[in-house]
Amino acid sequence: MSHRLNLNRVSPEVYEAMVTLSAAAAKDLDPELAELIKIRASQMNHCAFCLDMHSADARGRGISEQKPTLLPAWEEVQAVYTEREQAALALTEEMTDLTRHHVSDKVYARAHAAFSERELGQVIAMALTINAWNRIGVTTRPQLPRH
Amino acid sequence: MVSVGGMTTTLDNLPTTRLKIYKTSPELYEAMMALSNAAAKDVEPELGELIKIRASQINHCAFCLDMHTRDARKHGVSDQKLDVLAAWQEAGDLYTERERAALALTEAVTELGNGHVSDEVYARAAAVFTERELGQVIAMAVTINAWNRINVTIGLEPPRR
Repeated sequence: MSHRLNLNRVSPEVYEAMVTLSAAAAKDLDPELAELIKIRASQMNHCAFCLDMHSADARGRGISEQKPTLLPAWEEVQAVYTEREQAALALTEEMTDLTRHHVSDKVYARAHAAFSERELGQVIAMALTINAWNRIGVTTRPQLPRH
Repeated sequence: MVSVGGMTTTLDNLPTTRLKIYKTSPELYEAMMALSNAAAKDVEPELGELIKIRASQINHCAFCLDMHTRDARKHGVSDQKLDVLAAWQEAGDLYTERERAALALTEAVTELGNGHVSDEVYARAAAVFTERELGQVIAMAVTINAWNRINVTIGLEPPRR
């Protein structure tokens, strides 16, 4: 995998702002839920670097292998994920797929029912932040570490 | 008070049909503004507006389209460039090569679900921008994508005029 551009070097203020955004989005959000959001968006956006990083992070947090593995098919195995996880995943998918459809009232209402408004704001923030990192990762193509 | 899309209001009173996200996640607004300011450095405002409008078209963000077409006109972008933007590839040299390279890259960065950022599109942009400019163009495309996601999700409505 070739490396294209080191964004941290050419646009350090942007990189720093992204790190601040990530920290803001992570507040008051269950880290396990956050990893599922990050992995699902990274799958949809085809970001290899992000998938590698967040799958390792999920393992580090002790999330069962099954949850990340089945994520592309989470709707088929609802017993594996809590209602909060499902609501957040549905919202993450619609927020990630804006080119094809809007964020539907149904999916929004499901998330609104499962989370407090503070939590919902943070779930939305997390979904858009990983989308931003995905775009940076796919475009600048950082070297994928070999484990 | 903030000035957003031609409205002067408070963050708590933005006309959203869903969540008052800047009330529930105040750090988000601050972080996004810092990101926007960082991304805007060393990018010509006209080019920045074309990037923002094209991404907002693809992501179907009404508020963002309303705001950035107004901003683009203020920066002197012609009506024709705005009108034809969704079909820029058909419009020959109406857009400069730098604009076309940035638009192709913006489209690829925005449509990640449908494909990668190809070597062809990346190389075209790398040929017309310095590395610093290219980093900033990518940052601009990433940042408007983030605003698009916020505004579509919270149901922020454009002001009526």
